[in-house]
Amino acid sequence: MRRSALLVGIAVALCLVPTMVLNAAREAPVAESSVGKVQLLSASQLAFGPNGVLFVGDSVGGSIVAIDTGDTKAPASAASIDIQGVDQKVAALLGTSADQVLINDVTVNPASKNVYLSVSRGRGPDAATVIIRADNAGQLSVVPLENVAHTTVSLSDAPQSNTSGRQNPRTQTITDMQYVNGNLMVAGLSNEEWSSALRSIPYPFKQAERGTTLQIWHASHGQYETAAPVRTFVPYTIQGQPYILAAYTCTPLVKIPVSDLKPGAKVKGVTIADLGSGNQPLDMVPYAKDGHNYILVANSSHGTMKLKSDNLESYKAIESPTVVDVAGVPFDRIPAIKNVKHLASFDASHALVLTSAPANLQTVALP
Amino acid sequence: MRRFGFAIILTLLVGMIATAQAISIQLEGNTFKVAGWTPPASAPAAGWPSLLTVRAGSGDVPPMAGSYAVERGVLVFRPAYPLAAGVTYRATFQPPGGARIERTLEGPHVNATPVARVDHIYPSTDVLPGNELKAYIYFSTSMSRGEAAQHIHILDADGKPLNGVFLPGEELWDPKVQRLTVIFDPGRIKRGLTSNEKMGPPIADGKRYTLVIDREWKDARGVPMVDSFRKTFRGGPEDRQPPDPKQWRITAPKAGTSGALVVDFPEPMDYALLQRMIQVSDAHGRIDGVVATDHNEMQWRFTPRAAWKPGAYRLVVDTAIEDLAGNHIGQPFDVDVFENVTEHITTGTIDLPFNVR
Repeated sequence: MRRSALLVGIAVALCLVPTMVLNAAREAPVAESSVGKVQLLSASQLAFGPNGVLFVGDSVGGSIVAIDTGDTKAPASAASIDIQGVDQKVAALLGTSADQVLINDVTVNPASKNVYLSVSRGRGPDAATVIIRADNAGQLSVVPLENVAHTTVSLSDAPQSNTSGRQNPRTQTITDMQYVNGNLMVAGLSNEEWSSALRSIPYPFKQAERGTTLQIWHASHGQYETAAPVRTFVPYTIQGQPYILAAYTCTPLVKIPVSDLKPGAKVKGVTIADLGSGNQPLDMVPYAKDGHNYILVANSSHGTMKLKSDNLESYKAIESPTVVDVAGVPFDRIPAIKNVKHLASFDASHALVLTSAPANLQTVALP
Repeated sequence: MRRFGFAIILTLLVGMIATAQAISIQLEGNTFKVAGWTPPASAPAAGWPSLLTVRAGSGDVPPMAGSYAVERGVLVFRPAYPLAAGVTYRATFQPPGGARIERTLEGPHVNATPVARVDHIYPSTDVLPGNELKAYIYFSTSMSRGEAAQHIHILDADGKPLNGVFLPGEELWDPKVQRLTVIFDPGRIKRGLTSNEKMGPPIADGKRYTLVIDREWKDARGVPMVDSFRKTFRGGPEDRQPPDPKQWRITAPKAGTSGALVVDFPEPMDYALLQRMIQVSDAHGRIDGVVATDHNEMQWRFTPRAAWKPGAYRLVVDTAIEDLAGNHIGQPFDVDVFENVTEHITTGTIDLPFNVR
């Protein structure tokens, strides 16, 4: 067990429970449903819901689409993925060169263990939005977006900001999505105002349903507070109670009780770790091994970490910037899993990683 | 005579054989066609892809996605996406019982003349607070995503590149991929954080810096820019004061004119938020007009579409509007909650009344 100097730094640090305010009055989700062509201006984040429903976050279009993939059949035998040079293979499938393909997110269908990639074909504003399926046999195919059953919810109805009629330059980049207990939780980052957004949208999407307003704060002596955006989060159970574990730009790890996430509620979150700055937490995968609980975390520049999460309830809130010895969540570094751009849960003993240079899509044993 | 006749028959035979073997793969626009071959009434058991495939690039890669059809007796393949510039396509046709035919074709050419430049970087001022939060880079045309990290540099006074200044992660573009928002790492800005203590804020008071944008940054066509861009600036003290509208000076226009309403701020404000977070209303509702900024974003100007009527107006200001350090009305970017016990952050607007005479 190794305590990182970073965690000591945590004590000195902390943006404590970032305050996140969802302005429901300005941005009320509105739902529409149809069978036909899926309208996507971009495909950034992906998440799976129940029964093969794939959620696609469209940051440019400011909406979320729920697509009925029909991909619900369990694999015949133990599944695994190993596609070397996946960027070149995806590019070839789409008739272009690897440098013209951006893989935006990777997720695993828990029912079938097929892997889904959200891809931009092209790097400019006219980039085509493509969803690619990679199956256990290593075959890549384009997921059809025409004649499919889907529902759409709009995240933002912000008015045109520019009277000259040009397209609104303000976008809400969707940073993460997770389906949790009947709600799709969506984290976002604006390209204009510095504010955090964490929306809870009931699924199935309803007509003109308003998302839950979440307001999270923590007021304690000597603590700093800032509206940092959520970068990635996972549902997590602590002592039998459901929580959200959210890693923020900034970069604390905060636990938020799900039971408190009611419309308009003020919720106390507790910071239990900090992963250091100059770094973005990319993805987190909770798992159990040999009777203990862990969370595997992929980072933009701090490598892969294995947090020891057996007793998350026991870690006191990291509160004071002057505490020298910290009670933060300890972790090990996992140098064998490196250059990770995306990390996703695969099964009880494996995670799925997409690496860069070279771009390989493969299952790895959870360490 | 017999030899002549024999020669004719031989020529005809050779001609027929040659014609029968003149299968070729043609590319018309974005569609591949197999000429000189009559397809059967329906696809073979293994499907049309077993006869005709097109691959992009080299190596062991999957065939291109697309659709097959028989049109006017000709087998065609339509790729799902337009052929891309700079890519080599290998088309292979395997007629049943015949010799395989391969053809290599190039994607379309693109005009490689550079046209893109950096039009402007906001904030315009060349003194940035030590806790500057973000900058907006406006390009003259659409650019390529995914290139920002390698093509934006901050150099110190000696020309040495500094690391860890900007927040890594997703690029924040507008929908046209023409405006990029870059965020200075807030972990280094917030007071008390480790890296703020160890490395200091990214911008130090009194020190000089140069922001460089490389010419090699490709535009949306894949072509580099006309030129690189440099902006020199100096670090100033950190700013942790929330903007205070009571300190704003409003200069009202004259009734009957379409002169600009002018608001002067004691400090520069965020350029993008100035475009939409201040509006003008009267008793009947919002006034339509055009917003402009001046004096390095220390001045906001509003020119109405119609002449001003005399009467009472109000400036409606969204409290989320920010100064350069991300402080917004009522709250600095980071705050000592104990001293400033706010039970919740309110979002909304405040009104600043003014009269037009």
